[in-house]
Amino acid sequence: MSDSTKQNSEKGRYYWKSLKELHDDPSLAEAKANEFMSGVTDDFKLSSLSDVSRRKFLALLAASAAFAASGCSTYESKGEIIPYNKEPRGVIPGIPNYYASTCSGCKHACGTLITTQTGRPIKINGNNEHPVNKGKLCPRGEASILGLYDPERLRQPLRNTGHGFVPARWDNSNGAVIKALNAAASGGKEIAVVTKTVLSPTAKKVLDEFAAKYPTTKFYSYELVTDVNRNSAWKKCYGTDQYPLISWDKAKFILALEADFLAKDGNMVEQMRMYASTRNNENLKDFSRLVVAEAGMSLTGMNADTRLKLRPEEQSNFVMSLLNELIVKRNLSRFALDKEIASQLGSVSLEDFAKRNNIERSVLDNMVSYILKSKNAAIVYAGHRLPEPVHIAVNLLNEVIGGTALYRTDQARVQLLPYSTPQDFEGLISRMNSGKVGVVIHYETNPVFHFAPDFGYKEAMVRVPTSVTLGKWENETSVWSSWVMPINHDLESWNDFKNRTGLYSLQQPVIYPLYTTRQKEAIVLTWTTGSDDAYHDTMYHEYLKNRWQNEVYSDLKPAVDPKMFWYSALEDGVVTYDEKPEASGNFNVEAFKSVTPPPMPEGFSIMLDESYAIGDGEFANNGWLQELPQPVTKAVWDNYASISDATAKELGVDYNDIIEVRIGDRSQKLPVYVQPGMADKVVCVDLGYGRTKAGKVGTDVGFDTNVLLSKKPSLSQWLYTGGEAVKKAGSYLIVTTMEHDFISEPITRDMPFTRDIIHEGTVEEYEQNPRFIQQETAIDKPTTIYKKFEYEGVKWGMSIDLNKCTGCSACVISCEVENNTPVVGKDQVKVSREMAWLRIDRYYTGSVAEPMISFQPMLCQQCDDAPCENVCPVAATTHSPDGLNMMVYNRCIGTRYCSNNCPYKVRRFNFFNYRYKFDGGYYAREPVEMVNNPEVTVRSRGVMEKCTFCIQRIMFGRQEAQQNGKPFTGAGIVTACQEACPANAITFGNYLDSSQEIAKLRDHPLGYYVLEELDTRPNVTYLAKLRNI
Amino acid sequence: MSSATTEEVIDYSVTPPLVEGNPSLAKINDSIALPTERWPSKKYFAALSVTLTMLLIGVVALGYTLYYGIGMWGNNIPVGWAFDITNFVFWIGIGHAGTLISAILFLFRQRWRTGIARAAEAMTIFAVMCAGIFPLIHLGRPWYALFIIPVPNQHGLWVNWNSPLVWDVFAVSTYFTVSLMFWYIGLIPDLAMMRDRTTSKVKKMIYSILSLGWRHANRQWQHYEKVYVILAGLATPLVLSVHSIVSFDFAVSILPGWHTTIFPPYFVAGAIFSGFGMVLTVLIIIRKVFNLEYIITKDHLDKMAKVTLLTSMMVAYAYLMEPFIAWYSGSPFDWYTVVARATGHYAIGFWVMIACNVLIPQLLWSKKVRRNVAVLFVISLLINVGMWLERYIIIVTSLYRDFLPSSWHIYTPTIFDFGILIGVFGLFFTLVLLFSRTLPVVSMSELKGVTEGAHPHHNFGAGHE
Repeated sequence: MSDSTKQNSEKGRYYWKSLKELHDDPSLAEAKANEFMSGVTDDFKLSSLSDVSRRKFLALLAASAAFAASGCSTYESKGEIIPYNKEPRGVIPGIPNYYASTCSGCKHACGTLITTQTGRPIKINGNNEHPVNKGKLCPRGEASILGLYDPERLRQPLRNTGHGFVPARWDNSNGAVIKALNAAASGGKEIAVVTKTVLSPTAKKVLDEFAAKYPTTKFYSYELVTDVNRNSAWKKCYGTDQYPLISWDKAKFILALEADFLAKDGNMVEQMRMYASTRNNENLKDFSRLVVAEAGMSLTGMNADTRLKLRPEEQSNFVMSLLNELIVKRNLSRFALDKEIASQLGSVSLEDFAKRNNIERSVLDNMVSYILKSKNAAIVYAGHRLPEPVHIAVNLLNEVIGGTALYRTDQARVQLLPYSTPQDFEGLISRMNSGKVGVVIHYETNPVFHFAPDFGYKEAMVRVPTSVTLGKWENETSVWSSWVMPINHDLESWNDFKNRTGLYSLQQPVIYPLYTTRQKEAIVLTWTTGSDDAYHDTMYHEYLKNRWQNEVYSDLKPAVDPKMFWYSALEDGVVTYDEKPEASGNFNVEAFKSVTPPPMPEGFSIMLDESYAIGDGEFANNGWLQELPQPVTKAVWDNYASISDATAKELGVDYNDIIEVRIGDRSQKLPVYVQPGMADKVVCVDLGYGRTKAGKVGTDVGFDTNVLLSKKPSLSQWLYTGGEAVKKAGSYLIVTTMEHDFISEPITRDMPFTRDIIHEGTVEEYEQNPRFIQQETAIDKPTTIYKKFEYEGVKWGMSIDLNKCTGCSACVISCEVENNTPVVGKDQVKVSREMAWLRIDRYYTGSVAEPMISFQPMLCQQCDDAPCENVCPVAATTHSPDGLNMMVYNRCIGTRYCSNNCPYKVRRFNFFNYRYKFDGGYYAREPVEMVNNPEVTVRSRGVMEKCTFCIQRIMFGRQEAQQNGKPFTGAGIVTACQEACPANAITFGNYLDSSQEIAKLRDHPLGYYVLEELDTRPNVTYLAKLRNI
Repeated sequence: MSSATTEEVIDYSVTPPLVEGNPSLAKINDSIALPTERWPSKKYFAALSVTLTMLLIGVVALGYTLYYGIGMWGNNIPVGWAFDITNFVFWIGIGHAGTLISAILFLFRQRWRTGIARAAEAMTIFAVMCAGIFPLIHLGRPWYALFIIPVPNQHGLWVNWNSPLVWDVFAVSTYFTVSLMFWYIGLIPDLAMMRDRTTSKVKKMIYSILSLGWRHANRQWQHYEKVYVILAGLATPLVLSVHSIVSFDFAVSILPGWHTTIFPPYFVAGAIFSGFGMVLTVLIIIRKVFNLEYIITKDHLDKMAKVTLLTSMMVAYAYLMEPFIAWYSGSPFDWYTVVARATGHYAIGFWVMIACNVLIPQLLWSKKVRRNVAVLFVISLLINVGMWLERYIIIVTSLYRDFLPSSWHIYTPTIFDFGILIGVFGLFFTLVLLFSRTLPVVSMSELKGVTEGAHPHHNFGAGHE
């Protein structure tokens, strides 16, 4: 018996394969021994192979191919694309995963919750756990997901050859930069790092370590528009660095001076939530009153109960007159005893102020008495663009009226790296020019575009031997740099954020970097180590974890172990702890005594501000944001010069005519937008447009108005007095989603009211007669001879509280992201073909000079008797048994009859295949399709589409209920617009379930339906706006 | 007597002859059939090249539309329909005169219809063909147009019978079928005549097949005339129904400016008005070009002008009623639509429409105008313009200022809109030109029945003159 048979028999049985084997044939034994010939069974040694064997050749071929492949490997070529033959843990196609993270789209660093489907992020929402934004996000944050998939993101480092950029390798680029850094450090030349607001303590540590390694490093930090004036005024008055946060939710009276706190001034998401909570129609006692004094028309101004038109240079006078009224005339507060203050205020009075600015005295008196009535709950808030003296005066005013009670003491802002002053930058630029700067690093910044032209940044920068620009996209600065390094998107990055006391916010990647990009902190870390070899994918991740373990963990001393602490922090995305802000001292009266009235030159006041949608221009390449109607003007894809009607007449211009705006020797030609309600002889212009290197979408959109900035401030860095506006030849079409001329025609002016579109009243009216809206609408209630359909179990309804809605348009973007809405471009919006399912209607009433504004989010009303349904010849739009007006895209042939018959015009039609039409198919390019929500059909050309109350979410909820064997009540289902609304104005639910909030709101005394007399029986209830006047 | 003399004296107490100059039967045959038998003149080809160029423009514009989508047009939200449905309604309206002349006037024993009926009927067919294009191409996805037809399918999907667009499909296709049959039945004796006259073998074969073995036999004539009466009876309600149903596209909606009960009669009157306008345009050209002044006499033109005047007054009544009802209803929506029409962005179109459809036709009160061919031709052209504008105004001005001011938007047509408009006129006139060279433009057999002294064949049992 052979060995093998023995082995077999040892197991108890003998298995034989052939008779030869059974009989132990010796020939078989020999054949077996030779089964694997020599050189085959031996260890594979290349050298031991004969000279030119087939195997040697193949082996060498395979090896060289493998080396070739691994030698130039990228993320793409690592072969990461593996189909889900076996599902990874926690990933189920169709079931989204959510990750808490932080948005770094602006300096406010809101907490986010990112929805991913099979590993790709498709939507960014606010993180409910985050104490600042509490589950909400601004339009920019919502839309920033498109940036991740932007086909024009930089994919690899670029080297400037002197005549164009060529792709470079990371090791080469980093090697060259490190060499330059070493040379600069040893040669005593400055290494300048230009950054925006530094929000991350870990990133700050990285930068500090970098500075330690290269001791000639200096940091410069800027933002296009900052609150430095407010903070410096605060420091003068109270001695601490940061202006406090404000308890907007406790305010009963708010006087906003040129302060757009609902949009651009501060964290709009938080401020809007707090403000909206004071506009609660269930609590009329604490119903706040908002007075806005401003020159332009801001979103906050549009929401004001009383709005005063005031040129920016008059703001100082206004505050002084109020102080005079309260301190001198009414002898309020301890300052009344101060003779110096009395004499300082002696030259102004509310009468003079009212007379000069054409404001009715009674309005001011009314305001003053309201302020006095709301003791300790009134706040005066000056906008961040106003000059320091106004802020100082406002600080005093708040002392007088008790506004200080609304300063938050539980939390304060934190600034890790103070902003550089214009003098700092002048110094840098002169050192650049004189060759004292060896390396300049643009740490995701774009100073060539942002800096006032009189700095001469670009000219200075090109003299620096090595300039490195880190960024996600090419920009105006990167094209002049010697190296461009691509960095990770937020959604591919690790970080921590701290811009408030007692609060850490964590950012975690939700997708592996799409390209060979690196996180900007990791790049700096690599430089600090001095060799590109030190870089690895998890470099910054480990650094962050280490810092958290060694510093944060030991600081906070939580009751869990470090690992547990880290993972729970990541899960929540946020860590809150007890950290009292620095207490501020008493008001320093001397600071006020130095306040002098500003000069009041003749001419125009030019007011510059960041764009609402694209910020300082960073979001210029985001089609969703470019196409978001500006909440005030409803213009898309442009900036323009807003002027008042009277000024337009004086200049002899109308909409779309060109004027040249001049400040000193700086000028820019801009098209005119005649904005109702603006102060005369004021031009308001948005910054951030007119980019020349922003990618295909963002380049040459609007006009570069940064050229109007100057390093020498006028009234302030952003407000210039003594400017000029001159009519020029030509015209330029500003495209808006709403026509703008119907306020000037008498027959159309009051239509929102005469047509039952807007119902509103005052708080007083509501107090006296809670049913006044119902009485108003009673005559509209039609009768019918038809039997109504009986709904059972579930009937969807929505309620929109117009008291809370500020028109911010966060819902619009959220809807677009959720429902795969295409970008159509300016030319298509011009012919009214924008695709947003939800729009914010804005109505002016009253006069052009002093209009009243009403907002109304308009989406499909899901009418019970929908006019669209009975006219569709092919039954492509039908009604569901739970009361939804549904749209069957596959069935639609595109007659557009449904839209013609829709009184709300909320249906949108695919006149083209917009993904292919827009900008030569820009959003049809790889990898943009990954942004699409897989639960929502991407609509083709020739199909009608509209809102269906996020039916995909309803279906998800229903499936879950069915799977769990529970009755489906619809509780907990949230639509995308509702999810986004910072003001919590939208409520959605099943109103047949009396436990849901919507059931109560359906019968709210303020509730009404738009165009009720048509008897379409909508399922969207609007709660009438109450004005507190 | 020369037809160019305008100072003729008409004695209305005497019925004027329907065919002037008492021509021989052979001359009638010759003057009607000869144009189809001779090689066309250069002028004909010149005219054809113009219409074919127009058609080509339309084909190119349509090609772009089908390739890229109807975004090539100016249509938008809120103005979902514009040139497309305007053209549809316009051409359906043009198609009304033919059937009215052949069927209703036939039943009313208006024997003067004989000279113009054939051309008018042909125009109906062509106009409905032109109209039929638009419901197809205005769709976002024309390749799924079949969904609108109730074809049983495995999906169990059915059309929505509540939608007037489904009614349209049936109304228009029925109208087209009956009009085509009526026209063809009327053609049979003439086709037989052509068959007998022609010397070309190919033509003979074609005419033989088309004439269905007509032998001019007495029995055939008896059956023929019965069928003709029956078809006339069938076609008559269709004249009223088809445009009533087309008007439901608007009247059934809830849009101010569309939602009006007056629409069905108003649309029918407008259709007859525009139809007669177009018949006048076409016949004035035909009688001139083919020297048929003695068959299509000034008396014919005079009578058509009278019908035109009557329908113009009916349309004018509707124009008056619309603002009155809008005001009387007290609905701010309806009233604003009226105001927006008269004073808004499209006010010029509105007032041109009023001028063309109401004011200028008032000239037809004058007998001199009615018998002045040149003036009549101009008026007929203006009526065409006015009636096209009427549909444009109804559709666009109602949509562009609807309920919510927030969604208001101006509509501006693009070159593709105009291209298709030109193209469809090109198609229409190309078809008219082809028709005039291939088929007898006047019914020879019927005409012989109304020449002086002839005994009317089809007037069996009715009064003699």
